[in-house]
Amino acid sequence: MGVEEVVRKIPESLWRTASERIIDMILNSSNADNMPSDLAKTILYYWQRDQLATEVGLQKLLDAALRLEPEKTISFMEELGLPEVVVTLRRSTKA
Amino acid sequence: MRKLQYECSVVRRSVDFGIEFVPRDLYWKTTYYAIQAEKCGFDYLWITDHFNNRNVYVSLGIVAAYTDKIKFGPGVTNPYLVHPIVTAQAVCSLNEVAPGRVVCGIGVGDKTTLSMVNVAQSTPLATVRESVKIIRDISAGRDVQHKGQIYNISGARFNFRVRNKIPIFIGAQGPKMLSLAAELGDGVLINASHPKDVETAREFIDQGVRISNRDPSEVEVAAYTSFSVAEDVKKAAKAVTPVVAYIVAGCPEVILQRHGISKESSVEILNAISQERWKDAFSKVTPEMMEAFSICGTPEQCIEKISNLLRIGVTQFVAGSPLGPDMRRSIALIGQQILPMFQ
Repeated sequence: MGVEEVVRKIPESLWRTASERIIDMILNSSNADNMPSDLAKTILYYWQRDQLATEVGLQKLLDAALRLEPEKTISFMEELGLPEVVVTLRRSTKA
Repeated sequence: MRKLQYECSVVRRSVDFGIEFVPRDLYWKTTYYAIQAEKCGFDYLWITDHFNNRNVYVSLGIVAAYTDKIKFGPGVTNPYLVHPIVTAQAVCSLNEVAPGRVVCGIGVGDKTTLSMVNVAQSTPLATVRESVKIIRDISAGRDVQHKGQIYNISGARFNFRVRNKIPIFIGAQGPKMLSLAAELGDGVLINASHPKDVETAREFIDQGVRISNRDPSEVEVAAYTSFSVAEDVKKAAKAVTPVVAYIVAGCPEVILQRHGISKESSVEILNAISQERWKDAFSKVTPEMMEAFSICGTPEQCIEKISNLLRIGVTQFVAGSPLGPDMRRSIALIGQQILPMFQ
């Protein structure tokens, strides 16, 4: 399951919360060096346009979060009550 | 912790608010915060220029591309490491990306950083005076013919046109530099967080304004503060303590005396810092030192301290490093709870 599908499984009512939490996770990550520059620029593009809490914005944030903080991202999905997403993410991070 | 919304609504104000970033962070973090600062209603963004951090113009170039309204510039560059012709070229090129949004902050630079590369801050007044003239002339499209005490330029000219004037802010500390800054600059940047220091600086700024026969309203007075805001006052204080320790360690005695701080306590902190006894150094920072050299506290406390500076003629308040224990949260706090108080 790609990030597109993961985001589709997150209810739209949670997009804002998810976006805010993931932004904090990324900005405060000790692995921030691992952020690919093209992904960073895409996130900045959506941030400038206030679109980080949209489907596509959240996809980019989630992509970054999984690269920088995979375990914390999965825990956060657990917190959001999304067991199906958690199982899939666990599988894909082990692969 | 109280839930904080990160969106801000921008309000019109009679005073400008600036924010300072140090490009120690990855470029995308600095740019993220720059976009956030613009959304929160800051008028100016200043990025420091030290060779051991990321390049200021690269950082500003990216900021230019991802913002639309906020004014920005080096805060401040120095003519010892960067020839004024190159500074002019950099700010004028930036101005093409963000027309009318670029400002140029220039001063004598940071002694500690310059000493790492064996560069002395020699003849500072003449160096700054000549640099400002060179930057102004070439930016205005003139052929620069300059035979001064420091620079000798015979016929330098840009191959491109600069569409608008780029305001020059001069970073100043000592009496003569403050006066010169007011004489020449579109603005004066003072490193000060306490009204006593701003009041003292104002005397010399007024002197410079008189010398140049200018209207005082032509000269912006920007207070570049060490700023830290958080809902929890202890966390705000903890974030700014290292900055205050460094300020006290390098502070001239006359300023220490103004705030009733002994030279001995400054030397103790300096010794601890130079021996890398950080915990010891920071533990020696007293509440009096915090009061003198920072604006720190809850949003309500910061509002009061900012108001005190504005009352004595500061026209731009610059929230400088560290901003707070959590940069994103602190910018949001300023945007939502502090800036609206000054509309």
